[in-house]
Amino acid sequence: MNAWVLLLGGLTVWAIHFFLLYSFASLFPGQEIARILTLAATAPALAVDALLLWAAAGRAFQTDELDRWVYDVSATGAALSFIAVIWQALPALLV
Amino acid sequence: MLDGWPPPILDPAGPDAWAIATLAWVLLAMAALVLGVVLAAMWLALSGRPELRARLGGTKAIWIGGVAFPVVVLSLLLVYGLSLTRTQSAPLRGDEMRARVTGEMWWWRVAYLDQQRRPVLHDANELHIPVGRPVVLELESGDVIHSFWVPRLAGKLDMIPGRRNIIRIQADQPGVFGGQCAEYCGGPHALMGFVVVAHPQQRFDQLMRSRLARAAAASATPQAAQGARLFQSSGCAACHRIAGTPANGLAGPDLTFVGSRRTLGAGILPNNRGTMMGWIANSQAIKPENRMPPYTLLPGEDISALAEYLEAQR
Amino acid sequence: MNSETGFDPELLNRFPTSEERPKGEVEELNRIWAAPSGWARLTVVNNNYIGIFYTGTAFLFFLLAGALALVMRTQLALPLNGILPQETYNQFFTMHGTMMMFLFAVPMMEAIGILLLPQMLAARDLPFPRLSAYAFWAYFVGGLSFFASLFFGLAPNGGWFMYPPLTSITYSPGINADFWLLGIGFIEISAIAGAIEILVGVLKTRAPGMTLARMPIFAWAMLVFAGMIIIAFPAVILGTLLLEFERALNWPFFDAARGGDPLLWQHLFWFFGHPEVYIIFLPAAGLLSMMVSTFARTELVGYHLIVLAILATAFISFGVWAHHMFTTGMPDLSISFFSAASMAVSVPAGIQVFAWIATFATGRPRYNTPTLFLLGALITFVMGGLTGVMVALVPFDWQVHDSHFIVAHLHYVLIGGAVFPMFAAFYYWMGMTSSRALSERLGTWVFWLMFAGMHITFLPMHLTGLMGMPRRVYTYLPESDWMATNLISTIGAFTLGAGILLFLVDLARNFRFTVEDDAGNVYGGGTLEWLPTGLYSTRSIPVVRSRSPLWDDPNICEDVEKGRYLLPNAPTGHRETIITSPLRAEPQYLQIMPGPSPWPLLAALFTAGFFVLLTIQAYTPAVISGVLTIPCVLRWLWETDRPVAVRTADVGAGIRLPTYVTGPSTHGWWATIILLIVVFMIFLMTVFSWFFLYGIHPRLWSAPDNLLSLVPVLGGYGAAAGLLFLGRHLLARTKSTHWSPATQILLAAIALVAAFGIDLWSWRESALDPELSAQAALTFAFLSQQGLLVAITAIMALYLALRNARAMITRPRNTTFDVVFLFMLYTAGQGSVTAVLTRLAPAGFPA
Repeated sequence: MNAWVLLLGGLTVWAIHFFLLYSFASLFPGQEIARILTLAATAPALAVDALLLWAAAGRAFQTDELDRWVYDVSATGAALSFIAVIWQALPALLV
Repeated sequence: MLDGWPPPILDPAGPDAWAIATLAWVLLAMAALVLGVVLAAMWLALSGRPELRARLGGTKAIWIGGVAFPVVVLSLLLVYGLSLTRTQSAPLRGDEMRARVTGEMWWWRVAYLDQQRRPVLHDANELHIPVGRPVVLELESGDVIHSFWVPRLAGKLDMIPGRRNIIRIQADQPGVFGGQCAEYCGGPHALMGFVVVAHPQQRFDQLMRSRLARAAAASATPQAAQGARLFQSSGCAACHRIAGTPANGLAGPDLTFVGSRRTLGAGILPNNRGTMMGWIANSQAIKPENRMPPYTLLPGEDISALAEYLEAQR
Repeated sequence: MNSETGFDPELLNRFPTSEERPKGEVEELNRIWAAPSGWARLTVVNNNYIGIFYTGTAFLFFLLAGALALVMRTQLALPLNGILPQETYNQFFTMHGTMMMFLFAVPMMEAIGILLLPQMLAARDLPFPRLSAYAFWAYFVGGLSFFASLFFGLAPNGGWFMYPPLTSITYSPGINADFWLLGIGFIEISAIAGAIEILVGVLKTRAPGMTLARMPIFAWAMLVFAGMIIIAFPAVILGTLLLEFERALNWPFFDAARGGDPLLWQHLFWFFGHPEVYIIFLPAAGLLSMMVSTFARTELVGYHLIVLAILATAFISFGVWAHHMFTTGMPDLSISFFSAASMAVSVPAGIQVFAWIATFATGRPRYNTPTLFLLGALITFVMGGLTGVMVALVPFDWQVHDSHFIVAHLHYVLIGGAVFPMFAAFYYWMGMTSSRALSERLGTWVFWLMFAGMHITFLPMHLTGLMGMPRRVYTYLPESDWMATNLISTIGAFTLGAGILLFLVDLARNFRFTVEDDAGNVYGGGTLEWLPTGLYSTRSIPVVRSRSPLWDDPNICEDVEKGRYLLPNAPTGHRETIITSPLRAEPQYLQIMPGPSPWPLLAALFTAGFFVLLTIQAYTPAVISGVLTIPCVLRWLWETDRPVAVRTADVGAGIRLPTYVTGPSTHGWWATIILLIVVFMIFLMTVFSWFFLYGIHPRLWSAPDNLLSLVPVLGGYGAAAGLLFLGRHLLARTKSTHWSPATQILLAAIALVAAFGIDLWSWRESALDPELSAQAALTFAFLSQQGLLVAITAIMALYLALRNARAMITRPRNTTFDVVFLFMLYTAGQGSVTAVLTRLAPAGFPA
């Protein structure tokens, strides 16, 4: 995969997820539909993060220093994004 | 004990403020704990025993200290904070007492509303509420953005032109609770105070009854009095209203009950004859840039008569 | 090993070479890179000079803004104190915040970047030296005129956040607010110029072999810093533009009575304003990472985690803007999203802190002044971060928002996260620009005074806030309980001031600016900026094989100095540097760089003149000054983009690189794309404003009556695009001078002007009046942006025609042509979207 996609993939997932959630809450202020859409957007975001983590597991086969390193960063980014996406969705359950 | 301890935010007088004060203590404890952990780790890293330093010196330590530890602490806090956000904005019951507070440069317009949300009583810079009952305030602005904040009763909420924000406050004990505008609104923003007075329900009902009667009746002071005439002739009435008199100006604070207010100049001066005279004569020296012109040319006895007249408006 | 560009990485193993270099190469480098002397020194463009001018100016603004703070603290020491009248105090706190953020913090980080990056990356200079000079001079003149407004009582007084309607013409009729809007708008332009320079510099001018995985952390931090400026600053540029339009032309963007909304400003301002904090913190954290590694005498532990932390901070910081708006009454669900993101953004900070701790634990720490500062920074920043977590929780923020608790919090973050690291960096890197290092003995005093002063000032201030004292108040009443803590804070502020004063003494005694015989690597750092350098940076450009080349290769300094690496001479006889690929830093071509020139300086002076004269409402001189800027910029560009006689040059060991390359791999192409991203972000923010205001007052919006004009408008923009592609095709395919590319470009420009003209005319004929509704005002704001773009493209087309007439357009491709092509194509695209959006969206306008 393209190095930039790997480096920024997890974080991009978070960003897209966040702005979707913000749009839902702004389009449907105080309505139940905003919560449902929030949760609906969260599932695919988590799936993509998991996919990135899985892809990064392939780093063991990389011999090139830079490629290995890119996969390291990618995995960490996906992990961090995974947590942040869950946090991002919590308000839909708790507020 | 130290002056000002406990600070108002940690000395709540109502349920919403209570919940936040509890949260504040939890957060302070969290901050102390985390700071302790970081300082200990720093100390170990710099001058700990070699085997401890070796354990701290690797990516594993970063994953534990920099990722796992904060994630656990923050997850707990986030759940707590979000749940509290929900309880703080529980839906209104509908039978709460209602009032409208409008931020003005640099004072507060107060209107008590009936159940149909029509204004029934006008006042300024002071709000009377019953103890133990939630009070719903409609917050609006007449000019720029202000923010309504009485720390012992609740958090703050902004007053924004074109919008109406709703805040719920409640006092669980009688008392006088000070507040101040929290959003910079230019000029004497520093001198834009507010007072909430909580009375036991019976006293509160009494007060409202007498005020409603006063608002419906003619002025208590005979209009022939020197002060009443000066109030019209010197221009006061152009901006101020006194119920039951020809004075019907709306630009400035309503003065129907000014004599009974605890403060003058929007929460900045105690209310007595001296301060009233000083304010009338030259409020610009006390609160620069406020919208009331100085009356330095008015003779002393006129100012005294005006002050006497106003002190009688209760 | 993999290759990114087709360059064989094995070739780099030929270095260091072993044969003797011919004599006279160093002399020639010296001659080519010599700085002009006397008054002509003002025309220098080299990063060593511009960097130090820039750093010095930013530090001057730090001192001035700090002095304002001391006067304010004196005023607040006692209740009802009479040192500063209310109006002056309001100006002081506005200026303190504005200057610290816009004139000190961001420029200082940019300045340190310009000073350090070329050396750290072993480039001869940054890729656009004249742009650096322009950015500096614009900032210098603009910043000083902005500060001078204080002496005339004309300084802005609406707070550094400038919330309307307080800053609208009704409540701020004077020109004070205009000083802020135009002054800051202008300095933002300078910041963006610097950011483009840094982005392209870090991505394209690294030493060969310095892959992304071997880049110094500071370079990573600056890369992300510059990227964040590109995304964040357009929001505030649009905000200032709209507010200035509202003030000058009575277009109601923020006036609720006519369909505007004051909260729109807050969204735009904080979409910039919160990332701004991280824009300041990330470079400082980068500096910390570099220094921690040196002082622990070991490689940074968790390098890849730190890089990820920097990237994560940048991303998440764009999801926290509304935590400045928790008290505005936004829906609970919305603000809770921002609360969650504010939690998430503290995880990367935790990673960095523990990476530094782990590095200290791994190495053998040394103690000296910079170490003290960086430990102090660490503690202070962690405390600020913790109060940050506290205020990220919505209910707690409802209490402490806009109180002195926040003042304490933000100073902990900014002093711990930027000021202390900056002082550590001053001590650490002083050896690079001064012939003497700073004093360790004085430095210890400086540190302890500053550290103690900082905490004495701001620790009690948390309590002041909990006691209910709001921010931005010029005084308080004696009946309040706020006197004791305020008095302590004032004492602390003067202690902090004393520390800074002592630093100035140290500076006066020991700082002696030099490029050639600097004090050198006093602390034993391992990165490339400690290679021996002259004005031309390093004699030869080393091949990078690890993250700390100076530690891993003991011969590197000698090899570099003896010219055993790349580019040991100047094969084209011009200033030049090696352009490398963004991922793996494989050599691609030799960039010819422009030398000293008075034109960037003059362009900056006229740009500054335009904004300052506009502020004081001298409209005719302002327009003259603005128009004069154009020939200056064109004159400076005129000398660039010229192929040299040497088509390929030997850069050592038989490796030959081309000296003129066109297309998507070039630095010019990258810079244009980045500039267009800035323009697009401004447009995107306008689109956001459009839907935001519609969402607030849908009933005030009406369907426009000029739907039919869409046909000629889109036709014109389409024709322009077609002509552009035709021009590019003909440039590459034919030798005909009859169908010169200038013809198509000029025709395309005419099509753009015509399309825009019809669009504008149809709106002026329509029933919408921009003074009456926010919808119409925003439509005309869109049109204003488009008009500016079209005007620029017209000038570009004429410039291209002129170059073509002088036979300066190379075939089959040409960089100037590419730049004009990209810019015009973008303009046609934005014009089309504008035309459609303003007429058709949101779909189904209520009648």
